[in-house]
Amino acid sequence: MMSGRERRLRSVAALALALALCASCATHLRNAKTAYTNAQELTRLYRTEQALAAYKLALAEAALEAQKKPSGQAFMLKGLAEANLGLWKEAEASFVKAAGLGFETGEAWASEVSLLGLAVSFEELGFQDPALRAYENLLGKSAFKPVLFTAAERYADLTMARTLGLGEKEKTRALADLVKVIEKLEARDFACGFYHYFHSQAESHRGDYRRSYEEAVMARELGLPSEKILRDNDNQIVFCHDKLTGTLPAAERYAFAASHAAWARKWGWSDARTPAWKLE
Amino acid sequence: MSKKDVESALARGVDILNEFLPLKISLYFPILYSACVWAVRRVFDYRERILSWQVWLDPDEVRTKPDEFILHFFATHEALKTVYAGEIAGRDMKALRAAFPALYPVCGLEDAFLKALFKKELDSGGYRKIAAEFGTRASKAREDIRPVEMSTPFWTALENLGAELAALGIHLLKDEEVEKAIVGVIKKKTGTAAKNGP
Repeated sequence: MMSGRERRLRSVAALALALALCASCATHLRNAKTAYTNAQELTRLYRTEQALAAYKLALAEAALEAQKKPSGQAFMLKGLAEANLGLWKEAEASFVKAAGLGFETGEAWASEVSLLGLAVSFEELGFQDPALRAYENLLGKSAFKPVLFTAAERYADLTMARTLGLGEKEKTRALADLVKVIEKLEARDFACGFYHYFHSQAESHRGDYRRSYEEAVMARELGLPSEKILRDNDNQIVFCHDKLTGTLPAAERYAFAASHAAWARKWGWSDARTPAWKLE
Repeated sequence: MSKKDVESALARGVDILNEFLPLKISLYFPILYSACVWAVRRVFDYRERILSWQVWLDPDEVRTKPDEFILHFFATHEALKTVYAGEIAGRDMKALRAAFPALYPVCGLEDAFLKALFKKELDSGGYRKIAAEFGTRASKAREDIRPVEMSTPFWTALENLGAELAALGIHLLKDEEVEKAIVGVIKKKTGTAAKNGP
């Protein structure tokens, strides 16, 4: 038979265990939130690689929390981390669960993520028309950034790829339509450098190197989501610089060279054609 | 700074790689070289830095470029303009477009790890080999590094090695000297040159 002292000890031990488990749950949720906030901050600073590592940590912690103590908040965090890592199917499942546990926006996010996943599958299977329609639909309605950015990137790239096989007239029309879509995105968020990057790439396909240069400069000034895109954008600036230098009339050429030299100085380039990262 | 000390630190680096990534010799040079590059800059968040090349393989930049951009890329690159002189002169866009997705991340966007992965080809002018083997080699590297991606002891050991190299004054060595030292140590320790390395 258990003595009074043993019973007390057992109760204390059970309480301590319950508290420890509770603290561990709270720690997972807290860790997930901290890692997610950290990832967002790193994304804002364009430190993509570190941001991805932080999203992975947020996902691991949120998954532990969701397993131990399922809640709308835990699944919402899990879904957000998954969406930022491009795990669309997993994100959709998490948002559906979050919605079921009381997180109202979860349903809308789940449907957008699901549509994006479907569009990506269409594209990978070679069904370009339905993929483009789905991307365009998301571009028109989504306010969820991971979905919006991915849809924009895939829509722009797929449209540009399709124009390569078209005749001059159809190509001009398709690129004009693409630019209209990008301009609508810019109208919604003009300070988003990523949209100006797409704009610059589209103008390059149209052969308007002046406009492409201006958009690429704007993209660089407003900031881009990763080092890789920044470097690609810098290469675009150098390409446009070379094209314009070779084609502009003398008076315009001198003015352009002077303004480009000022930008290059501001960005710390060693000369008009050499971005700082080329010397690393 | 003693070159011998740097070499023995690098030898410990090969031991770490032998322990955590046995038989994945093709990764030894790029990992150690990247570790040295970051040690010189005294940045030690190696896990993110070294794994960052995987981000560079995934699409997020606009990959479809117009013909003029691709021609400009080949025609203005010091080495590519010679290697692909025929295709550039004949505006053979089919051939240039086929090689572009492999050569642009390495020579155009210049990721440190990918450059180290193809160092042997870059040094010997084997650009066509890079174009032919990029997909296979990059996905093999991705597969090979997977076992240590989440291994805290591996990254801690590598970070400690980087801190030691920085303390030994690796920044005083020229880039070529660092490369030579790494290659020498890998050869000595594994009895062979890294399969696809220098």
